[in-house]
Amino acid sequence: MASTMLAVTEPAGAQTDVRAGKYLTFHLANEEFGIRVLKVREIMGLQEITAVPQTPCHIKGVINLRGKVVPVIDLRLKFGLPAAEYTQRTCIIVTQVQGESSAVLMGIIVDGVSEVLNLTAPEIEDTPDFGEDIAGRYLLGMAKVKGKVKILLDIDKVVSTQEIHGLNAILS
Amino acid sequence: MRPSDELRQLVDDLALRLMVEDPAASAGSNFSGWIPALEKIRHGAAQESASAVGTTAEGIIATLGAGGGLSGEQAAAELQEGILRLQGAIEAASKAPAISESPENRLAQDPELLSDFILESREHLARIETQVLAVERDPCDSEALNSIFRGFHTMKGLAGFLELWDIQKLAHEVETVLDRARNFELKITPTAIDVILESADHLRRWVAHLEATLQQRPTDAPRQDSALLARIRTLTAAPDSPAAGDLAALAAAVEVKPLEGPPAPAAASDETSAPPETARAGRRGEAMAVKVDTAKLDYLVDMAGEMVIAESLVRHDPDLRTVKSQRLQRNMAQLMRITTELQKTAMAMRLVPIGPLFRRMARLVRDLSRQFGKQVEMVTEGDEIEIDRTIVEELADPLMHMVRNSLDHGIEPPPERLDKGKSPTARLLLRAHHQAGQVVIEIADDGRGLDREKILSKATQRGLVASGSGLSDNEIHNLIFEPGFTTAERVTNVSGRGVGMDVVRRHIEKLRGRIEIHSQAGCGTSFLLKLPLTLAIIDGLVVGVGKERFIVPLFAVREMFRPTEKILWSVQQRGEMALVRNALLPVFRLYRKFNMEPRSEDPCQSVLIVAEVEGNRFCMVVDELIGKQEVVIKSLGETFKSVAGIAGGAILGDGRVGLILDLERLFKDRTSETNR
Repeated sequence: MASTMLAVTEPAGAQTDVRAGKYLTFHLANEEFGIRVLKVREIMGLQEITAVPQTPCHIKGVINLRGKVVPVIDLRLKFGLPAAEYTQRTCIIVTQVQGESSAVLMGIIVDGVSEVLNLTAPEIEDTPDFGEDIAGRYLLGMAKVKGKVKILLDIDKVVSTQEIHGLNAILS
Repeated sequence: MRPSDELRQLVDDLALRLMVEDPAASAGSNFSGWIPALEKIRHGAAQESASAVGTTAEGIIATLGAGGGLSGEQAAAELQEGILRLQGAIEAASKAPAISESPENRLAQDPELLSDFILESREHLARIETQVLAVERDPCDSEALNSIFRGFHTMKGLAGFLELWDIQKLAHEVETVLDRARNFELKITPTAIDVILESADHLRRWVAHLEATLQQRPTDAPRQDSALLARIRTLTAAPDSPAAGDLAALAAAVEVKPLEGPPAPAAASDETSAPPETARAGRRGEAMAVKVDTAKLDYLVDMAGEMVIAESLVRHDPDLRTVKSQRLQRNMAQLMRITTELQKTAMAMRLVPIGPLFRRMARLVRDLSRQFGKQVEMVTEGDEIEIDRTIVEELADPLMHMVRNSLDHGIEPPPERLDKGKSPTARLLLRAHHQAGQVVIEIADDGRGLDREKILSKATQRGLVASGSGLSDNEIHNLIFEPGFTTAERVTNVSGRGVGMDVVRRHIEKLRGRIEIHSQAGCGTSFLLKLPLTLAIIDGLVVGVGKERFIVPLFAVREMFRPTEKILWSVQQRGEMALVRNALLPVFRLYRKFNMEPRSEDPCQSVLIVAEVEGNRFCMVVDELIGKQEVVIKSLGETFKSVAGIAGGAILGDGRVGLILDLERLFKDRTSETNR
């Protein structure tokens, strides 16, 4: 823990990694993921979602976030994992991502959130090359914390509208 | 760039010469002798791009050169003042940091100041225009005159501050004219009115240029219009002698007015009460107004809407229902009143009065009536009616089209009007009023009315209708909304190209409004624009399809009913139709389009909604009607921009999101659904 604190206060020249910083971790199936805390606006329990017709199945629809209409995607479906029943632990992480012109809010449904971790540069590794199958372009890197591997997501790319439209084009 | 010592020396020499020769004392001295020296300064200034100095020198030269009418004393005074200004300009220029030459480039570095200037200038120019028209009607209207003067004066000051010398110079010249006019030294003639209006136009071009520069779209700066400047100067320089008598009379008239006491305002209210009153209202409103970022406003509206929902959730809470307390009931009712009031106020903040839009038309009417040689008096009513800001902006073009049409086609030339026993001065009425939650804008003239026969023959010629038989007046009138329709024999630069009315209708429909015509041959035509109060809210019909709810914009809904088998027909087992009021209308099923599970496949168990978009009617099958609700339209954002048939989202009474249907798109896409 002490080393973690040190790394934050001390801008270590050679060791600086833009990826170091605080991450919110959550889990999907048996995998742990992390997204930058700065991207997270709020975490809320599941609420009723209004489905939007003619959209890919991972786009669950829209919710009312205090007067704003916010789209919600199911990250399990997005990553091709089998759909799971929503439970008490299921929640929506509202993220602020870079849209085409301005920042937009986007909700992502995950199986449950775990904790906020402060990751230092030595703990972060580049993504190994998995070949074509795994969507490596969504990943910032891998973090090893207490013997566990967390997958760091580039949430901007995961929910980018281009991605959604691209899928639209394939579906239609 | 700093002015060189050489330039400074030239100006100092000039000042010295002025002191030595003292042309004011020696009568009849020749001022043309000064011009070469001034030319030299101007030339030097141009080389060093000290534009302020150059402009000032040019100004003096023009005054002296054009000053045939100037008396010796006047010219001397002009010269003296001019040299003082030159010195000032040199001082200012040497203090100014030595940066870029073009004022716009320099200003682009301070975009905030500049955009404030643009905004403010637009307001001033708009007010100037209205007030000039008021002065034209009543040259003694010193209030209006003062207001015009203040407008130019403020613009001059701001332009000087921003170092926009061309603007400053023009504004200064006009200001001089106005200053003399308000001191009764100069009579406001039609020529003067023209010059002032033209100057305002020129300034507007400048403002447009500045705005373009600000948005990185380089345009050519409007050329300094020396002809215009010269015309302004002739006004000021005009010999006082012939006007002196008039001026005395004018002054007397103004002085007499208050003495007349009560009758004067009453008499005035008969003729020109509307413009001065609205003008005053405008000034009052200005003093009380605050500029607010629209994003903040939207947020406030969002929050107010949420509060209403939260309040209703609390009020209908089952736990609370069990509490039987009078006090609680009373307080809840109070809370409800406050939230509703708050929401209404928040909504009303987006609204602006329609008066300024009407006043913009006044200028158009003035210019066009001169061009056509017709006498038109424009009357406005309901200037204070408020309507959504966006609507006001979008309405300018269609309104202009209609006013043009009225003046060109509707209103007859004075001789023809006299023959018909009408007053030679035609009346064009612009009126706004509320009706059933909508704003109705009426554009009415007392001209010749729509020519039924002519429209019909043109329409038959163009193949729009087979024959005129059996068409009602209303149907014939509506033909003028067909694309490319025109009855004008020749194309003028004003109208007759046939791109008018269909564009107008499309504009109005885009604003979710409707347009109606009432016309009587020989008595005039009136157009009624029925518009929603605001674009942010629509009256929605909440319908259920499967497990979801959708909002159908009510303005497009004509009727709804549960169909019987007798009225439903199918074509080749695919296309479906319904016989509604003797018309066969296409039927389409919303659940098929959206791939949803309906509650029942049988249309007789569902509800048929007859909707109309762009003049086409069609039927839509939904499972049930849930109710009617006023909803605030929210964008679904770029994520869903490619979803066809959905216009946006809205928060329903229970706090969930409902999707608003885009009927136009659904109608256009319905073929793809039936082919499936």
